[in-house]
Amino acid sequence: MPDLPAKCSNARRLMVAGLLLVSLGGWQSPASAIPVFNRQTGQNCQACHAGGQFPELTPYGRMFKLTGYTIGSRTEIPLAMMAVASRSSVRNTSKSDDPSADFSKNDKLIFAGASVFAGGRITDNFGAFLQYTYDPYASQDASGKYHGHAAADNMDLRLVDHFVGASHDVVVGASVNNNPSVSDPWNTAAAWMQYVPVPSPSSSQFIDGATPYPGFGTGGNTSGLTAYAFIDQTLYLEAGAYRSTRGVLAFMKLGQPTSALTRVQGNAPYLRAAWNLAWGASSLMIGASTMSSRVYDDPASTGDPTTLHRFRDSSIDAQYQWLLDPHALTLQAVATRQFHRYPDALAGQLPAFVDAQGNPLAPSSPSDVLRLLRVKATYTWRATYGGGFSYFDLSGTTNSLNQTSGYDPLTGTITSSPAAAAPSTRVNGNVTGNPRTAGETLEAYWLPLQNLRIGAQYTLYQRYNGSARNYDGFGRSAADNDSLFVYAWFSY
Amino acid sequence: MRSLSCIVALSFLAQFAGCADTSRSRSLDDPKVTGRVMAEQVCSNCHGQRGLSPSENFPNLAAQQADYIDGELRSLRDKHRHDPAGAVYMWGIARQLTDAQIAQLAAYYAAQPAPAASPPPLDLSPAGRQLFMEGAADRGVLACAGCHGQKGEGNGSIPRLADQHRAYLLRQLTVLRLGPDNRPMGTVMSPVAHKLSDSDMRALADYISSM
Repeated sequence: MPDLPAKCSNARRLMVAGLLLVSLGGWQSPASAIPVFNRQTGQNCQACHAGGQFPELTPYGRMFKLTGYTIGSRTEIPLAMMAVASRSSVRNTSKSDDPSADFSKNDKLIFAGASVFAGGRITDNFGAFLQYTYDPYASQDASGKYHGHAAADNMDLRLVDHFVGASHDVVVGASVNNNPSVSDPWNTAAAWMQYVPVPSPSSSQFIDGATPYPGFGTGGNTSGLTAYAFIDQTLYLEAGAYRSTRGVLAFMKLGQPTSALTRVQGNAPYLRAAWNLAWGASSLMIGASTMSSRVYDDPASTGDPTTLHRFRDSSIDAQYQWLLDPHALTLQAVATRQFHRYPDALAGQLPAFVDAQGNPLAPSSPSDVLRLLRVKATYTWRATYGGGFSYFDLSGTTNSLNQTSGYDPLTGTITSSPAAAAPSTRVNGNVTGNPRTAGETLEAYWLPLQNLRIGAQYTLYQRYNGSARNYDGFGRSAADNDSLFVYAWFSY
Repeated sequence: MRSLSCIVALSFLAQFAGCADTSRSRSLDDPKVTGRVMAEQVCSNCHGQRGLSPSENFPNLAAQQADYIDGELRSLRDKHRHDPAGAVYMWGIARQLTDAQIAQLAAYYAAQPAPAASPPPLDLSPAGRQLFMEGAADRGVLACAGCHGQKGEGNGSIPRLADQHRAYLLRQLTVLRLGPDNRPMGTVMSPVAHKLSDSDMRALADYISSM
């Protein structure tokens, strides 16, 4: 977002000062043993999260969010934290030039990351959710040593009102946030469907959180302003736009390196509609969303419009919940389509690879279409024991532009040697240029405390990067990537 | 977008400056917020607008006896009720309610119209109907209607049962059977519930929820 005009400069300073005061106020009181929203309402996690399994929201949790996190009493210390310890295990680590690099931290219990949250109720009509995340494995130096880094994560500030009359019940609000759909109250939204934080080491590159999930061409660390209405708790409408983060909203990209930013040309419009129905112990949502954006190829160079990627994202989603203590059942389904037009310089290019006979491959296509189907079912008993099953299927057009493995034109072999004219990528390479990735995840979890979730996910692949077998050209099969992910997720 | 940003920033500042009133507040620790506002802005998220809950997980409160609501809210505020649902959902919500707000909430829900209902068909849960109307003298089970009224309308601190969700009724009967500590205001019900079998409870819930 560009700098505010001069007439707003004082307002900007006051706003920033206000935010700081809100964030820092009340340090004299000891922290309670539960996160900030619990402290605010005094309720158990289960009130807002289905079966207590965060972050999936109950109908009440959705209203808590839509009314701007303002239900309850303002806490003296508006802070909370979460931390994740995990262990990732890839089924087959043998087909690799350097297993210690391709599957770093495999079979090792690690501290995967931590977040600090600030926010909650600020006034009767204004509330916030601000997340700042530390990644202990954010980067690796030449010696292979990891370095930690902290940066802004999901953020959402809301101004809301709730009008109730004899014949109407309307929530209206505005959200300033940094990730398309982070403002959405349903957990089929792109920003929320994937839930357990994914550790950065490469042993986690095939765990469930790294499988295809819904997303937008314009990702996190942008800044958006959306307006929404929830009418009679039935019809939800949201519209807004996202653009590059700068100026007064720079705190929404705090700590993010330039290379990790999404730089958008102009405004990227975002639209969302959902129909919601509740009866008995059930609630059902059927919705759709769309977004159109132009994203610079290089976040550090935003002057040349010929380097723009153009995205048109659209999705339909549905969520059914059956919540009757002690049972919590949730079914989710999302289907997305993304049209991606590449910058001119990337279209019509001959790949460095050749085919097995040494003939040139087809020139790169100017655009691609990706389709994703993702469904998930979860059941939790007594907010303590639960399990889930999810299925994912990413498909799309074949494009030599996406080929990262192939025959070297000089040797006529597939080689990962850096000295080759066209070195191929082992383990996560793509020898077909097709994105098809499909599989399932089974999950079991235990919540011994309301703020501790211990779980295990096993992800099985039928297809990876376009093939069931030899997807990287080095003989690696999709099933070799099957992964076990065990985690302990704690919030305070 | 720039002007919109300004508007949002200035609106936020207005909120910081305390410009909001309490007529649509969701505050739970402000004694100036009336029971009616609390009911509309907070309680309605589970109990429904005007006390008609769309979810079987939460009781209907429309036309409930004011004395009953008053007593239960005090019991929840003071953490005397220990049933799981009461603790999970209501301890926090009720913890800072004033006596005046509790009285206002009770009066508000008592004044809400009950859903239009017709008498349950005679062939619906005959066992439940018999237990409700006549009890089971051979087992020492008193007739529900004796205290709750022939139409389940309740009386004073004795709750209205008519129009209540079946699942909620079943859960509360189970809680009462576990002992008086779970719901001190329902101590009188505990010995009655002890004499009810699971099938008795299901039959009663079938009958009462259709009243």
